[in-house]
Amino acid sequence: MALPMSADAPTDICAIVRALNAGDMRTCARLITRIERSEPNLVPLLQALYRAGGHIRIVGVTGSPGVGKSTLVSKLVAVWRKRGLRVAVLAVDPSSPYSGGAVLGDRLRMKEHSCDEGVFIRSMASRGQLGGLAKAAGDALTVLDAMHWDVIVIETVGVGQSETDIMRHASVVVLLQTPMGGDDVQAAKAGITEIGDIFVVNKSEHPEADHTVRQLEEMITLALCLHPEKTWRPPVVKTRATHGEGVADLAGHIDGCFAHLAAQPETARLQLRDRARHRVGELLHYMLEQRLRSGVGLLPENLIDSVVARASDPYALAAGLLARMD
Amino acid sequence: MKRETDYGYQIKPVYTPKDIEGFDYQRALGDPGAYPYARGYHETGYRSRMWTQRMTAGLGSSSDANKVLKKYREMGQRGGMQVIHDRVSCSNIDSDHPLGRREAGILGWPGSSLLEFEELMEDIPLTGQSITVLGSSAPSPLRLAYLIVLAEKRGVALSEIHGSVMESPFENYMGQTDVQPLELNLKLFLDVCEYVIRNKIRMRAAIISQHFQESGGNNAQALGVVLSMLKEICGRLIDERGLDFDDVATLPYELVTVGSRFFEEIAKIRALRRMWAKLAREHFKAKKEKSCHLLIAVHTSGRTMTYQQPLNNIARCAIQTLAGAIAGCTALDNATFDNAHAEPSELAARMSLNTQHIVAVETGATDVVDPLAGSYFVELLTDKVEEEGYKMLAKIDELGGMIAAVRKGFITDMLNQEANKKFLEIERKERLVVGVNHLVIPPDEEFEVPIQEVPPDSNAESIARRMEQWKKTRDQAAVRERLSRLHGDAKKGDRFNLMPAIIEAVRVYATAGEISGVIRMARGLSYDPFEMIECPFELHQTACA
Amino acid sequence: MNAGTGIKVIVTMIGLDGHTTGAETVSMILRDAGIEVVYLGCNQTPEMIVDAAVQEDVDIIGISSHAANYDQVIQVVNLLRAKNIGDIPVICGGNIPRSRFGSLKGSGIAEIFPPGSSSEAIVGYIVNNARKAYAAPIPEALRAS
Repeated sequence: MALPMSADAPTDICAIVRALNAGDMRTCARLITRIERSEPNLVPLLQALYRAGGHIRIVGVTGSPGVGKSTLVSKLVAVWRKRGLRVAVLAVDPSSPYSGGAVLGDRLRMKEHSCDEGVFIRSMASRGQLGGLAKAAGDALTVLDAMHWDVIVIETVGVGQSETDIMRHASVVVLLQTPMGGDDVQAAKAGITEIGDIFVVNKSEHPEADHTVRQLEEMITLALCLHPEKTWRPPVVKTRATHGEGVADLAGHIDGCFAHLAAQPETARLQLRDRARHRVGELLHYMLEQRLRSGVGLLPENLIDSVVARASDPYALAAGLLARMD
Repeated sequence: MKRETDYGYQIKPVYTPKDIEGFDYQRALGDPGAYPYARGYHETGYRSRMWTQRMTAGLGSSSDANKVLKKYREMGQRGGMQVIHDRVSCSNIDSDHPLGRREAGILGWPGSSLLEFEELMEDIPLTGQSITVLGSSAPSPLRLAYLIVLAEKRGVALSEIHGSVMESPFENYMGQTDVQPLELNLKLFLDVCEYVIRNKIRMRAAIISQHFQESGGNNAQALGVVLSMLKEICGRLIDERGLDFDDVATLPYELVTVGSRFFEEIAKIRALRRMWAKLAREHFKAKKEKSCHLLIAVHTSGRTMTYQQPLNNIARCAIQTLAGAIAGCTALDNATFDNAHAEPSELAARMSLNTQHIVAVETGATDVVDPLAGSYFVELLTDKVEEEGYKMLAKIDELGGMIAAVRKGFITDMLNQEANKKFLEIERKERLVVGVNHLVIPPDEEFEVPIQEVPPDSNAESIARRMEQWKKTRDQAAVRERLSRLHGDAKKGDRFNLMPAIIEAVRVYATAGEISGVIRMARGLSYDPFEMIECPFELHQTACA
Repeated sequence: MNAGTGIKVIVTMIGLDGHTTGAETVSMILRDAGIEVVYLGCNQTPEMIVDAAVQEDVDIIGISSHAANYDQVIQVVNLLRAKNIGDIPVICGGNIPRSRFGSLKGSGIAEIFPPGSSSEAIVGYIVNNARKAYAAPIPEALRAS
């Protein structure tokens, strides 16, 4: 079996696609629930949606808890709405590692867009689905893609690998942080310039704000020296999300980043290839895990014991498992 | 069952002189009327000044609330009146706002204009009793303006009026919210305080720990939080507004919740007096002795008023009132036995007021000052709660003070955790509450509480419609002109005092929604906190420059 | 696995009610039972709550009411029915007098949890009565053709 394509697939994919194309929020909302529950019979639909999609701007927004992501996203949505754009937001929050439950509070800060037909907001708990978080988010984006939004925002807490992986679904990634002292910036330096296309220093009224901006600029300069092949210099934007200050400026930079991609077809092509490769990898990983869980690939306990006793080793065992899967 | 204070101190079966070894009477307590004031501010206690015996009013229209106030006077309300806003005016929106018209007058007094205040106070004197109007921080400047303008209209000297209409900006983080951002509430609160001090108006500012405790915070946390609030507010009035501490110290009063754990509640209030006196003298270098006095009003705990077997609450209220009396309070208002069901009915209000009078005249508790002084147990508890309170104060200081602690989410996190802990303690029967998890009776045997309903002709919609109609009858040009001035003033920075412009706007009957709206606009916020309505006025350009 | 795994609920205040403690305590209890809570906080209108219920595709709605604003609570039920999603149960907690229970339930409120309700009772009710998204009726648009 190459793909977990199920016999009881939704009978009328066309009807669902039509509903999504027509912007039906309930259909979309229900599909995301089914994705969260990893219903296997969704695959043919997702395949169809994927093949027809790919036209919508996806913006990722990430940053540590408490930096003001949801508030900033809400104000960003307001800027886009004033321009008449229709926006979907997928807000991913962590689940409790103890109970698997979650309190999802992003909607709380996006109140101003309630009851606006041009905005769709969906919260997603990070461990709410049986499969990988990034895969589920990718599938949800595929569904949203079919609804002809003008922009889709995906927001996550920027800690942990799975959250970072989610950002790979976005064309433009906005990395948010609050002002901090010099040492903190140095500590945070490792890696952050890798994923951000735009840097935001939120809470611009903070006395350390300008200092943080300078530090980021320096880091970006350094990163560009190390990677001269990069053609986009990430801008650093100051915002005060609670007051909406600097948000229009940020929206402008987001446009600028998309315009840059449009003007640099080779860069855009590389990015799309990278995203596709990543998506395939994600699915592969997910499918392997499903297979292992399904029992087909389950390890006999005595083999584990042989690894413990060092009579065998994890490499041999893993290779053996993979070989047994065909 | 737990035998420990709500902040976790294990209580022993017996206390002896050993528990307070080294106890130094003068240092620890002093005589009543002497530093550090643990025993109170008056040498002869209630013999020289009885506590203010009051009940909370506010339901339906302003005229309805006016009738209730008059009724309370008949019932024996002495020394002061207390009115609480409805949720609409708490948020500084008007009754005719789309959200306002759903809830005007439902949970309090619909106080969004001077007109409403005039109706509320009809035939009620502004002097001879303290005037207390509370509900949330946001309308503080409006309440002061109402009072100033009405006093003028009645030809009453402002110096003759006393009471409290200002509320600290921290309540939004203590389980009692309004929609105004902290920065704005803080700015306006400082404006009102500065105005009151500079004009020598005898209005006090409520620095309230009531909501913190009613939302679940424990006694030691409450002490730490109160002291930090006082420190932050007094500090800012001195640093930012250039005031002298001895003037600032005439301002605050503390509204503290008293629950049923009798000795612990008394210890808390004694400790609070001592802690404030030390803060005033040691930190703020008070020059006047009076600056070491913090007026303490007691609210008997609404949180402890159970939904089940509501008549039990009469007993709880009595125990708490006695605790408040013995602790030595300046004013006392009671949660009523129907608290968990509705706004106070006439019967419930009468029971609560009578409870105060029974404690005052029948028990002998008012004959002697601080009667529990010298009790090994109570002195130890006073020291303990003070010690734990100081730990909390230090923690908040470390975070950069109260405002920084609020911004970092420290206060709300602490409160949520504590509320959760209290919930679980009851659920696990570690704390017993009669009727709730102990001696429970089936619902069909419950006493049915008479419910105080909003009078039928003053439902929210009719209050809203009245306001809509009335707004059109005002001098529109004057309203626009005053609001334009206010808008202009509000652009002059955080330290520019908006009180004069607010008073002028109130004088021409500009409403809470309008006044707050133009201030918000000047600060780059939306006119309507809920973004449902636009500013109805074209503001003068000159004023906006 | 926890009793509430797979269930998604809205917990919200309604109208201008500012007493947040109850709603926040309940949210934590539900989270600890494995339930996913979409917490809407204060100042939600019935329209906003129903809008969130659609977009979040929740299985039950819990409203905390300490402000005697029952008209708005009932309005939530009416709006859900008007949108054909009346199968999402609406439950209510807070200081609601028992004498009101009859009329509230008559208006479609599924259950009421007065102060002193145990977490077991609340979680138990939700687990047994939440709309199961699997079994729930397919939305109109999905059904068409």
